[in-house]
Amino acid sequence: MKIFFALLIIVFLAFSGYHLTFRGIRLPLFARTFYLTGTEFLFLGLLLGPQFLNLLDEETTRGLEPLGTLLLGWIGLIFGFQFEMAKLRRFPFEFLLAAIMEGLLTLTLVFLGVYLVLFPFLSIAGPMKIVAALVLASAAACTAQTGLAILAPKIADRPRNTVTILRYISSIDGLCALMFFGLVFLFRPLLYAEASWIGEVQWGVSVSLGTLAGLFLYNLFIMQRRPESELILLVIGMAVLLSGMASVLNFSPLLTNFVVGFCLVNFSREKERVFEMLIRVEKPFYLLLLVILGVNWRLDTACVFLSAAAYCLFRCLGKFSGGFLVTRLSPGLRQYPSNLGFGLLDPGGLPLAILLDFQKGFPSDITNGVSSIVLIAVILNNFLSLPLLNRLLKAKN
Amino acid sequence: MADLFQQRRNLIIYFLTLVLMGGFAAWIRGLDVPTSWQRSGMVDFCLGFVLLAAYIIGQVFRMVRLPLISGYIFAGIALGPYISGFLTRDMVHDLRLVDDLALSFIALTAGGALRLPFLKQHGKGIMLNIVLQTKVIFGAMSVFVILTRNCFSLTKNLPFHLATSLAVLVGTIAVARSPSAAIAVINECRASGPFSDRILGVTVALDVLIIVLFTLTLTAIKIILTSAGALDSQVFLALFLEMSVSIVVGIVLGKGIACYIHWIGHDLPLFLLFLAFGATKASFWLSHFMESHFDFYLHLEPLLICMSAGFTVQNFSQAGPFFMENLQRIALPVYVLFFSLAGASLNLDALRSCWPMAMCLVVIRAMGIMGGSWLAGTINRDPPEHNRNAWMGYLTQAGISIGLAQLAQRQFPEIGVHLTTLVMAIISVNEMVGPITFKWALNRVGEAKK
Repeated sequence: MKIFFALLIIVFLAFSGYHLTFRGIRLPLFARTFYLTGTEFLFLGLLLGPQFLNLLDEETTRGLEPLGTLLLGWIGLIFGFQFEMAKLRRFPFEFLLAAIMEGLLTLTLVFLGVYLVLFPFLSIAGPMKIVAALVLASAAACTAQTGLAILAPKIADRPRNTVTILRYISSIDGLCALMFFGLVFLFRPLLYAEASWIGEVQWGVSVSLGTLAGLFLYNLFIMQRRPESELILLVIGMAVLLSGMASVLNFSPLLTNFVVGFCLVNFSREKERVFEMLIRVEKPFYLLLLVILGVNWRLDTACVFLSAAAYCLFRCLGKFSGGFLVTRLSPGLRQYPSNLGFGLLDPGGLPLAILLDFQKGFPSDITNGVSSIVLIAVILNNFLSLPLLNRLLKAKN
Repeated sequence: MADLFQQRRNLIIYFLTLVLMGGFAAWIRGLDVPTSWQRSGMVDFCLGFVLLAAYIIGQVFRMVRLPLISGYIFAGIALGPYISGFLTRDMVHDLRLVDDLALSFIALTAGGALRLPFLKQHGKGIMLNIVLQTKVIFGAMSVFVILTRNCFSLTKNLPFHLATSLAVLVGTIAVARSPSAAIAVINECRASGPFSDRILGVTVALDVLIIVLFTLTLTAIKIILTSAGALDSQVFLALFLEMSVSIVVGIVLGKGIACYIHWIGHDLPLFLLFLAFGATKASFWLSHFMESHFDFYLHLEPLLICMSAGFTVQNFSQAGPFFMENLQRIALPVYVLFFSLAGASLNLDALRSCWPMAMCLVVIRAMGIMGGSWLAGTINRDPPEHNRNAWMGYLTQAGISIGLAQLAQRQFPEIGVHLTTLVMAIISVNEMVGPITFKWALNRVGEAKK
């Protein structure tokens, strides 16, 4: 019975929160940052979880695992749909280069910082050390447009070019993060199944074959134009099927569905209808993700706050230096302010999806610590990003 | 010619898709899943597979002019533990959550399909049909099961009190119809006129009354099985209280839905899913809570709550059409999962043993419907052509009948397997035959436009 109520509470909170959060209620800027990013749902999850009220206990959380898989698949599909080549080509090639460069630089800096400085300090060792560092680096590289959305009414008179490049980079740099995160799963068979090199190759082939088969299947289904109700069924069915397949194959549902989403948006005629369907429940799903992460959150030691601060610092360094280098990349990009990185701090939802994927796929002693670091850093960045973005746009103006 | 070509093309695509899915499933199901992450992934994979396979099989069934629902049930049987073993018994059990959700959802739709002006206009004819058909079908089915209990292997070893309980439940569930199937056939044929309106009215109204009848039956069976003696007034008082409270809760929920549509209006399908699910679970929880904490048995009927909510939105607010449109949007995935899981939970071993009995009951039910509807039509002075063909429109049976059988199975496990097996066997036949005969009847009375 508890699992049903748990599910009910989660769905209700996500749903009501979505309406409170995303439907035109005017609040002061500080409160809007808190609500618009859905941070309250993270705390709500924490409150309902085993650490406090224990309404959603360990057993219930385990029972909700299929829902988590579906969420990851759905988010992956949506993210894949952002990479429509025809639309990306409308922007200068320098933009793409800038986004990839900024993403890679942040990834490298955070990875090195965490691996060489933070982990020895926290005495983290063993094979999970590299996995955790990769996850932290991937989560750090993601950028979202939430800040731009919050400031939308104010930025009508701001420099359009800066806003355009910020929007572009924040939609693209997640790609580097996701690719980097994919590397993490190379370690999963080694960590949990004692696989050999041959096994690793077999695993790679299996995952590729599975994704290809899923893609082919998707195309067979949407070859014909179908009524909306049938399309809903097919999209839900495929998201559940592929997420499940990825989990069974020890791979990431997020990445598998991302690849499928990417292929669909570029090769399918039904892309618009499918995307419309996916986006319709994006926000309730995002809030569900926050609640689930909140439930899984374990605040064991105060030391995670310090670690999160250090991690945040590495991320800021990566973003600021990435932003600076981007503006020196070519003559065309020199027109942008050198403190472009100020506008790239907003983390958005992708790092949270990466985190959930990591939690599910790599249960270990250090998973809780890594999760806490990411979650605290996400909250910190949510609050830091807005004033800095405001400053960047004002200075340019 | 172009249609035929298109149909052949679709058939090839569906065949290819099924073959690919089959290979995919065989590969994934054959893998080891040692961790909990992989196990939950396997449940997701199976759920997605069932959803898609049932959809395809439904489409193939539609091509050969069989109802979609039959395709979903067939897919469930094929993927279930008795044929391919793709879905294990544990998985089917774990996915019962979907059953509850779908059942409440169907009840919400059935309530929304009842329109007050239509009920007023055709009230007399509908009432006559309901009363006469219910009496004849219930009587004929129950008496047949009791009298022939020693002739069939399924009931041979049942003691008299269990056989009587089974007979009463089979008789009650046989009264239920399938509004979704009736609506689907009417839409497919683009039929309109007094004949199709009457059949739809009776079918939907019976879906409401069946819950009342079913609740009464459950109470009666509890008395039979627990040997608690004769019916006392308190039982009926409790039943009256439960039903009244359920209806009131439904009205409040219906008003809530109307307010939601008025003030917010977005994402209604999600909200309705949440509401249907919440109503079901909350009523189970309340019943458990009242019994364990206050030693007071108050079982709110989730189906009645949802039906009453749907009826309220449709008839006492401006939001009726919007409400129905949104229900239809998410109906397909819910129905596909519900019917395919119902097929998967079918006990084929028991079905083999009860097949002769099920066929006899199908014939008796059809004869009961024929007698009841002819009598009602004659008293109401309906055109003779309508009287002769009406029974063919009432054969469809699904949705709520399966749900009722499953509810009864949970409450009376001692006869549950027999009941579910028998009911599923009867429904399988009726669901195959019913839409075909209904379509035929519509053609014969000249109300089918297509």
